[in-house]
Amino acid sequence: MPTNTFIPTFTTGSVELRAAQAGRKPGRRTDEVVAASRLGDGIYELVVHDPYVARTVRPAQFVNLYSANATMVLPRPFGVAKVEGDDVTLIYQVVGAGTEEFSHFRAGDAVDVLGPLGKPFDLAKRANYILVGGGLGVPPLLLAAQALHGRADGSKVTSVFGYRDERFADDLVRPYADEVHSITNERGNVVDLLDSIEGEVSGAPLPPVILSCGPTPMMRAVAAWACQRGIPAQLSLEARMGCGYGACVACVVDTPQGRLKVCKDGPVFTTEQLGWGA
Amino acid sequence: MGAMKNDTSETGADAMNETNETCEQDQSHQPMDVLEPYEWRHPTVVAGVRWKNPVGTASGTFQLDACGDYYDVAQMGAISTKGVSPVPWQGNPGPRTAESPAGMVNSVGLQNPGVDHYLIDELPRLKDLGATVVTNVAGHSDDDYEQVVAKLADSPADMLEINVSCPNVTHGGMSVGTDPVALGRLITHLRAMTGKPMIVKLSPNVTDIVEIAHAAVDAGADALSLINTLVGMRFDIRTGKPILANRTGGVSGPAIFPIALSFVWRVRQAIPDVPIIGIGGIDSGEKALEYLYAGANAVEVGAAALTDPTSPMRVARELDDLLDARPELATKLAEGQTW
Repeated sequence: MPTNTFIPTFTTGSVELRAAQAGRKPGRRTDEVVAASRLGDGIYELVVHDPYVARTVRPAQFVNLYSANATMVLPRPFGVAKVEGDDVTLIYQVVGAGTEEFSHFRAGDAVDVLGPLGKPFDLAKRANYILVGGGLGVPPLLLAAQALHGRADGSKVTSVFGYRDERFADDLVRPYADEVHSITNERGNVVDLLDSIEGEVSGAPLPPVILSCGPTPMMRAVAAWACQRGIPAQLSLEARMGCGYGACVACVVDTPQGRLKVCKDGPVFTTEQLGWGA
Repeated sequence: MGAMKNDTSETGADAMNETNETCEQDQSHQPMDVLEPYEWRHPTVVAGVRWKNPVGTASGTFQLDACGDYYDVAQMGAISTKGVSPVPWQGNPGPRTAESPAGMVNSVGLQNPGVDHYLIDELPRLKDLGATVVTNVAGHSDDDYEQVVAKLADSPADMLEINVSCPNVTHGGMSVGTDPVALGRLITHLRAMTGKPMIVKLSPNVTDIVEIAHAAVDAGADALSLINTLVGMRFDIRTGKPILANRTGGVSGPAIFPIALSFVWRVRQAIPDVPIIGIGGIDSGEKALEYLYAGANAVEVGAAALTDPTSPMRVARELDDLLDARPELATKLAEGQTW
């Protein structure tokens, strides 16, 4: 593997302490790969050791991973799927040269990381949280399920996942979810699933809140579905990003309030913020 | 944030003939703690303004609310702000960025909340933090630039940087900076409006940058910064369409380093006395040092800050170490001279 041109700012052992002492966030650093495996066709799981991310990340926040190939300078941002101890799990699909490189990781390898980044889901309310995910939008919702599971306020977790074909995340969400629903492309989409569970969601005493992540057309449809029923929805957007931490202002989304940064003003936006409900 | 979108389909070459990369710096990948207290040993002087060290942030890659989370902005040689326009600008539609070999193409289009907001928000906050501030001035017309400079003339900004080189706006920007007559007229007007040290940021997208540099200096510019981005683009081979909504954008990053360096050297050869800030592809102390040997008084780190928020500080620290072994160069910089 080619050596990286960047000297890491920290190793993760001292990063949390130093950042806290200085009142700053830690910069790009080199993490150790704890585990790497293939979950399905072109879909991989990567576990990195990063105590800082593990202790501070909240659902829908993401981390930047950087290629060791110096010709690929931009970060690859991934939503965090799971936290266990000091280990952070990412689930991603191979879509280009950078993710292809990551797919060859083995335990003990090194990878440069920045984060956690972005604004998380607002999980303050007691609610039936309906996690509506499509494709590789599903993994960040797994962390939301993990965070909500077993909460003392009696909130519920209902997963509504749409997959291209393999239902790679149903077993991953099951330990944290009260109800697990999923559908594959040949049978329908997540809006079909939402229609099928509308009765039990709307009739229940616990108010529903939708958290969604997936392809933009899917999230627009989910936002419209939620808006028609008066259900609040938080949507975690994806975008072509430059820096991922708010410096370059490249990853904007058009909203009624003007162009907002997906990486720092989001990735989570409400239907109202985006003007997607109407 | 789900599936990531930054990956494109090309693979890049990995092998390089080694030049400078292994000579002096500690290559053991020992982590550098950019947050520990530090006493700068090698200042520079640009148009009469003392910088703590010769490394600043490049305009367009610095936002206080983002970068200030990662390091003490007062520790940089200077902070060059994002372009400030007379009224809020929305910038270009997305997508605004695409990766390119050892670099990136951007078409942000100077999105910013406008000079009035800047004067009550980012500028006072930067000054309260102790930063040396270079305020980058953007406009679509001579009148735009004049409105911004008029409002900045009595502000606490340490220097002004007139951006006549942005490739991503349809009027003003690069269209002024590629015409020596138009540029001379604009800078003459702005010069009469303020005694603040005025830097003119030059575009590389010209036939003869020396002619443009002369026009700026003859009209009263105190210093030059170069280069802004090179015009470039990427296509999506699945759709057959440009990736950027604006179609073309500006290329930055390590890919432009030797190109930008040659521009600095050419301008220095032609104009021995004007202070020059070298910009383009700097991601290490060694690359910054090459600019100083090419005749720059200072440098700015741009795209590298987008791949690691702390890189401007790291470059400054590496350069401080490299200048220890070069007392003659360090002394010249501290006296406002160049190599």
